[in-house]
Amino acid sequence: MKILTTVKRVTDPNMKIKINADATGVVTDGVEYQMNSFDEYGVEEAIVLKENHGGEVVVVSVGPSAATKELRTAMAMGADRAILVETDEKLDSDAVARVLAEVIRKEEPDIVVMGKQAVDSDRNQAGQLLAAYLDWPQATFAFSLEVADGWATVGREVDGGTSTKRVKLPAVVTADLRLNEPRYASLPGIMKAKRKPLDTMTPDDLGVDVAPKVKVLKYEAPEERAAGEIVEDLDALIGKLRDEARVL
Amino acid sequence: MSDLFNPTEEHQVLREMVRSFVEKEVAPQAEEFDKTEQFNRPLFNKLGELGLLGVTAQPEFGGSGMDAVAAVIVHEELSAADPGFCLAYLAHSMLFVNNLAVNGTDEQRARFLPGTCSGELVGGMCMSEPDAGTDVLGMGTVAVEDGDEYVLTGRKMWITNGAVSDTEMGDIFLVYAKTGSRDTREISLFLVEKGREGFSLGQKLHGKLGMRASTTAELVLEEVRVPRENLVGTPGKAVKSMMRNLAIERVTLAAMSLGIARRSVEIMNDYARERTSFGRPINVYGQIQRHIAESYAEFMAGRSYVYHVAGQLELDAFGHRVDSDGVKLYCSTMAKNVADRAIQVLGGYGYVSEYNVERLWRDAKLLEIGGGTIEAHQKNMTRDLAQLDKIR
Repeated sequence: MKILTTVKRVTDPNMKIKINADATGVVTDGVEYQMNSFDEYGVEEAIVLKENHGGEVVVVSVGPSAATKELRTAMAMGADRAILVETDEKLDSDAVARVLAEVIRKEEPDIVVMGKQAVDSDRNQAGQLLAAYLDWPQATFAFSLEVADGWATVGREVDGGTSTKRVKLPAVVTADLRLNEPRYASLPGIMKAKRKPLDTMTPDDLGVDVAPKVKVLKYEAPEERAAGEIVEDLDALIGKLRDEARVL
Repeated sequence: MSDLFNPTEEHQVLREMVRSFVEKEVAPQAEEFDKTEQFNRPLFNKLGELGLLGVTAQPEFGGSGMDAVAAVIVHEELSAADPGFCLAYLAHSMLFVNNLAVNGTDEQRARFLPGTCSGELVGGMCMSEPDAGTDVLGMGTVAVEDGDEYVLTGRKMWITNGAVSDTEMGDIFLVYAKTGSRDTREISLFLVEKGREGFSLGQKLHGKLGMRASTTAELVLEEVRVPRENLVGTPGKAVKSMMRNLAIERVTLAAMSLGIARRSVEIMNDYARERTSFGRPINVYGQIQRHIAESYAEFMAGRSYVYHVAGQLELDAFGHRVDSDGVKLYCSTMAKNVADRAIQVLGGYGYVSEYNVERLWRDAKLLEIGGGTIEAHQKNMTRDLAQLDKIR
């Protein structure tokens, strides 16, 4: 089977975020970039599917030319080839979904497995929008995935517990944290990845207008939370909850 | 834009992989193995699965076929969390695997590299002796030719990976021994496996100041017979291969100093912006600023020197001695000083194990001694520099 997965180059989520002077984004000077961690689960699952069913793993990124590093990392983990849709613009989720849809119409994979969201903007939309543009079924927040006879059975993390969904392939599946344990890119893998094909194209080549539909007006840091307090006993806690927090 | 520390995308991916592995699997175990003076064999085997044990060895023999810069990256990253464990890695992957990959024959590589690259076998190198360190050519271990065999007799000291536990020796060693009369430079290199009659663990050393997660042992050779196939290179000519391997050893030891210094700077920097005294974070005070800023500048100077030299180091060539000694001379003392300042910035907290800088400081000291004392580097460098009129 042909499996398509995606990676986004994101800022290191462990760094302290600073909003830039004109509030149009975050400061990116000296910031490290890495693969979106949810995408690591997507790439791992794609490789597992290939190991179990045979076929090919194609990894796609939409982003700057430097995102070849994240694509090489995915290939070092085991993806077979990569496609970079190169753009320096900041795309909204809708534009990303439309770009991916065009790549997928060309590639015709049997399944798309991608991270449920990116840890930089945390929008959690691209997978769902992609399924809609392709008119494919979708199963989001996967913690388990079985593929057999043209159907995928997906265990999903939902509010209040879990649910199981069966979708007919081709379909879009988005990965949650408990789906698998992503492997490290081994050294032999890194050396092999050097020779794997990486195609580059632009949104223009795909005929996609990436002008944003969502306009960001302003970035604002959340209000600083006051430090917590350790209370003596249960009575003091109840007192505080009732009189200060007023939640009882 | 070229990046001295990550010259290619492969180097960048390698660094990220090792860093992520180190955060998840190496850092959490470091304190315990330091305390108990034990070698973490299961963790070592994981390095084999990732292809790190044979980082510079040929792929056809189970290696990963990368260059000196890649080796430096791995050592810097491992050492930033656990220098002791990294030293065991260095003794295995540089002193044994790289040494044999460069100096051995294909037949010898095929016999020993797949097992050492996977981690099935733990390797080391035997050069120093109880009475011969810096004066390596004064070694007393001899190998006498006897038909199709050599008979080795002598004692080897300070052997990293000489033991894998308190009672069990490592699996495979490259042993230097004299094949001419005692006062010549005729030294040969031999592969000696655990289990050969007369080859034994003299003692596993205890009570080391630092680097306690790697083992150090004395190994004893009592008329150990090895076949001619175990002779590496031309008999009597091993000094050249020794020098060639010492170059990458010293550059990777310097890379370990970089890991120690980097982590020490990170720890003191973090602490100094959180900790307050007289109502202000301590990093507003000049005395603390001097510790942090000088440490960072010295670390970056050392780092630039190491990566510059590694970038020019060809693993199978000869003649990098001024700078392979130079990086270790500078970085070992630099890292010790930086770890020392980190302790000073943290005060009492720096002196106890919780913040790790006391362990980094203890580990840093070894690098002024092992793999060449700083005095040996000064001697070598000055002798080589005396041949020069101008520095290009």
